[in-house]
Amino acid sequence: MSTWKELLSEQIPAEMGNLIDIYEAQMELRKQGKLDEKVFAEARLRKGVYGQRYDNGQRHDGVRTRELAYPSDETVKGPDTLWDAPGMQRIKIPYGGLTAEQLETLSELADEYSDGILHITTRQDIQLHYVHIDDTPDLMRRLAAVGITTQEACGNSVRNITACALAGVCHDEVFDVSPYADAMTQFLLSHDDVQDFGRKFKVAFSGCAGHACGLVKMHDLGLLAQTREINGELQRGFTVYVGGGLGTVPHQAKVLAEFATEEELLPLTQAIARVFARLGEKKNRNRARIKFLVAKLGIDEFRRLVEEELQTLPSDERHSAYIGNLSDFTYKPAKAGMALNGRPLPDGFDDWYRSNVYHQVQAGYSTITLHTPLGDFTSEQGFKLADIARRYVGDNIRLSVEQNIALRWVANADLPAIYRDLCAIGLGDAHAGTIVDITACPGTDTCKLGIASSRGLTAELRARLIEKINLLPDAVRELKIKVSGCFNSCGQHHVADIGFFGNSRRSGNHKMPHFQVVLGGQWQENAGAYGLAVGAVPAKTVPDALEALTERYVAERADDESFQVWVKALGRKEIKAMLQPFMQLPSFEDSPIYFSDWGDSRVYTIDDIGVGECAGEVVSLFSMEIAKAESTHFEALLALDDHDYSLADENAYKAMVLAARALVRTKYLDVGDDYDNIVDEFRSRFYDTELVFDRFAKGKFARYLFKRHGTAPERINEDYAHQIIDETQLFIENVHSAEQRINGVIVS
Amino acid sequence: MATVPKRLGVKFSLIREPQLQPLDIVPIFQRWIQQHTVDGMLIDVIDYKHVPNGPGIVLIADEADFAYDLGDGQIGLHYIRKRSLPGDLPSALRQCFFYALQAARALEAEAPGDIAFDFTSAKISFLDRMHYRNEAAKLDEIRAELAGCIADIYGAPTEVTREYDDPRRLFAVRCRAQAADVDVAAMMERLQASMQKA
Ligand code: SF4
Repeated sequence: MSTWKELLSEQIPAEMGNLIDIYEAQMELRKQGKLDEKVFAEARLRKGVYGQRYDNGQRHDGVRTRELAYPSDETVKGPDTLWDAPGMQRIKIPYGGLTAEQLETLSELADEYSDGILHITTRQDIQLHYVHIDDTPDLMRRLAAVGITTQEACGNSVRNITACALAGVCHDEVFDVSPYADAMTQFLLSHDDVQDFGRKFKVAFSGCAGHACGLVKMHDLGLLAQTREINGELQRGFTVYVGGGLGTVPHQAKVLAEFATEEELLPLTQAIARVFARLGEKKNRNRARIKFLVAKLGIDEFRRLVEEELQTLPSDERHSAYIGNLSDFTYKPAKAGMALNGRPLPDGFDDWYRSNVYHQVQAGYSTITLHTPLGDFTSEQGFKLADIARRYVGDNIRLSVEQNIALRWVANADLPAIYRDLCAIGLGDAHAGTIVDITACPGTDTCKLGIASSRGLTAELRARLIEKINLLPDAVRELKIKVSGCFNSCGQHHVADIGFFGNSRRSGNHKMPHFQVVLGGQWQENAGAYGLAVGAVPAKTVPDALEALTERYVAERADDESFQVWVKALGRKEIKAMLQPFMQLPSFEDSPIYFSDWGDSRVYTIDDIGVGECAGEVVSLFSMEIAKAESTHFEALLALDDHDYSLADENAYKAMVLAARALVRTKYLDVGDDYDNIVDEFRSRFYDTELVFDRFAKGKFARYLFKRHGTAPERINEDYAHQIIDETQLFIENVHSAEQRINGVIVS
Repeated sequence: MATVPKRLGVKFSLIREPQLQPLDIVPIFQRWIQQHTVDGMLIDVIDYKHVPNGPGIVLIADEADFAYDLGDGQIGLHYIRKRSLPGDLPSALRQCFFYALQAARALEAEAPGDIAFDFTSAKISFLDRMHYRNEAAKLDEIRAELAGCIADIYGAPTEVTREYDDPRRLFAVRCRAQAADVDVAAMMERLQASMQKA
């Protein structure tokens, strides 16, 4: 055994393995220049393979912009994105749920393909940075072997589906949303109806209306657990929110349905996806999120369209099949629940207990939060944490949207022991969920769009706040701070008490890193309100401005007055006046320190900002589908090289069907996967109408498909394999030309 | 002949904890990029000092990473070769030792007297679980070849032991030269000569 593909062939589910093989073939085609760079970029993004800062081959070193001469030279993995430049791999962890084994595999991958660090995102994903694209297929195979996929982790698709980290153990939840999040993840993954979006689509589940965890109101689709009584029976369902989102222009989601039953949940989601795919903006990516469509149409018209779509939705047994399996979704604690007894407790335990321990609804158990600074932990911590999990909680590990790790089902009697064990691996920090537990996006560290160093600022604020955390009044201790490196809000600054997002200002001839201060956002009530931008302060004065702000809040607040209420009462003008002393811009000559960002000694510049891949390129559905046909054709070629002629035939035939399907789906989305159906539809829509006919060869190339579909070859040998591969190539070309003739430009 | 691992690392640890703080390394590495202080296509500096026992401050290059590493409770310079490794293990080891020494010496020059490495010992990491599972048998299998190669690098006999017992961790060995001190300049010269010859 010498490759991961061979070694893990038994463990990788066939479908997952096939998708990875297709991606690997697409990589090869791109390297050979045979796959359009935009199409490949979107295909790569849909595998979670993301660009990183400086991948355009340029970096300002503080003195001048230098060329980074990657060996790949001209080969690109997307527009302006050099092949050899390190990138980021995003790994979907649905609702943040991890097993100990998965944690170990992730840790292995961080060691071997990244820099030994695992990063938790605000969407409960794991990200590995500085990954070489050539390593990504094996990385994906090793994940697939333990049941993790990166499919649709980025790109214009359904991103990781999030849910409260406390789902299933929470006192306030209506019911456990985890199995629903799981069912929806499986239903939507690679679903035909989520392949043609103009932008990404984010889904979240929440178990209750009052608390923050699920943040449903800031999502493209938010599902809030509800029950109602029908004929004396309690029925489960969801209030369905649609069109929320942060980004540059935050939108609060609108209620699409007050109560969607379990049976309605998946078809309704599918119908929403179809309306979004059909009517959502495709050209202007800045207005392509569903929130703009909902705003443009109005929620009533959007609802009408969704209802209309529901009427024509093809029936699908998966819509309701999952309901029968909901009861299989159970938790296996490692130990019986037991009360905490009065033994001598380790040093620091009380502080930790106060902030990091949540008593579950199940008697005798707690969920503990492991505070990971900046969302980072090492592979070594990952291995040891897997041991701790096995010892105390089994596979009950969750990542949270606050970039922390929750261990659930800890027997209360074990709390002192687990605390000791966590301290031994550096994960026993107290103050989870307090003002020191700051959320930050990657910012200028690795993000191409970063304007200021969100992580640098966060590290600085955290260090300063930790020093005095025990002196802070509770009202300040409980505040939430969130930091984004730019206006795109990946750090969720809109829903924090105190949010910051990076921007820049000019002083003299120099740029100075700044942070816009956003106050009074609401984390509670599922991101119930967005904050107000009150002015930009230089990055270097943010810590002092924060101190002034919190001190004034403590001094002036009425009893129990929340930060949001206080901010509102004070008003934007007064707050701006308070921040004014921190907004002064010294000259470069007087205070050069202001002209470097936190954690970066270089003189600040915005020259390194690149073109983001958050949205990916808007690539037509046809381009994505025909690319699959091309990579399957490529696999046929590889099989031919390996003298595996049967496999060559199988792949060539499949490639022709995929090409036909790509064309059919431009007119008929629901053609499905059945070969007979696809060929019939292709024949009636494109062959009988002569739409696919070549000017000179007429229907000859399409007949290659009909021939192979009608009769399996009697003898498969090298000559035959050669021939069918050539015919497949001609047929794919024919489909390309036909599509251009029929639908116009392919890649927008 | 032992397989060349996908990635190979060499770490030299400091003799004692320095006055210089990890944060002070950021501007040093930034300057290295500006001035091409070490060989390679240097890309960026990343700060992981907030993670206990982590990679610390990392200078990312195309072929390799240079970390002011805080792992195992031992501050050190960890050179990890990621790409373009030579086709045989002895050459790959020579390459890694050379660049690790080059970077460690450059770091010593940044804070003379404060930053001082123990060059008599090094940790060698094989970042490749496909070919190097962390098992005692693996060391038995390659011990003779490895020890011979490292003895050549040091110009003195060396002792080689496995670094971690946990089978999930990377296969890594600790090599110790059976000498009170090593002549780093001579070692680098030897390495460079053999690299040029190859
Ligand atoms: S908020 Fe801006 S800097 Fe931060 S990750 Fe998103 S796009 Fe990048």
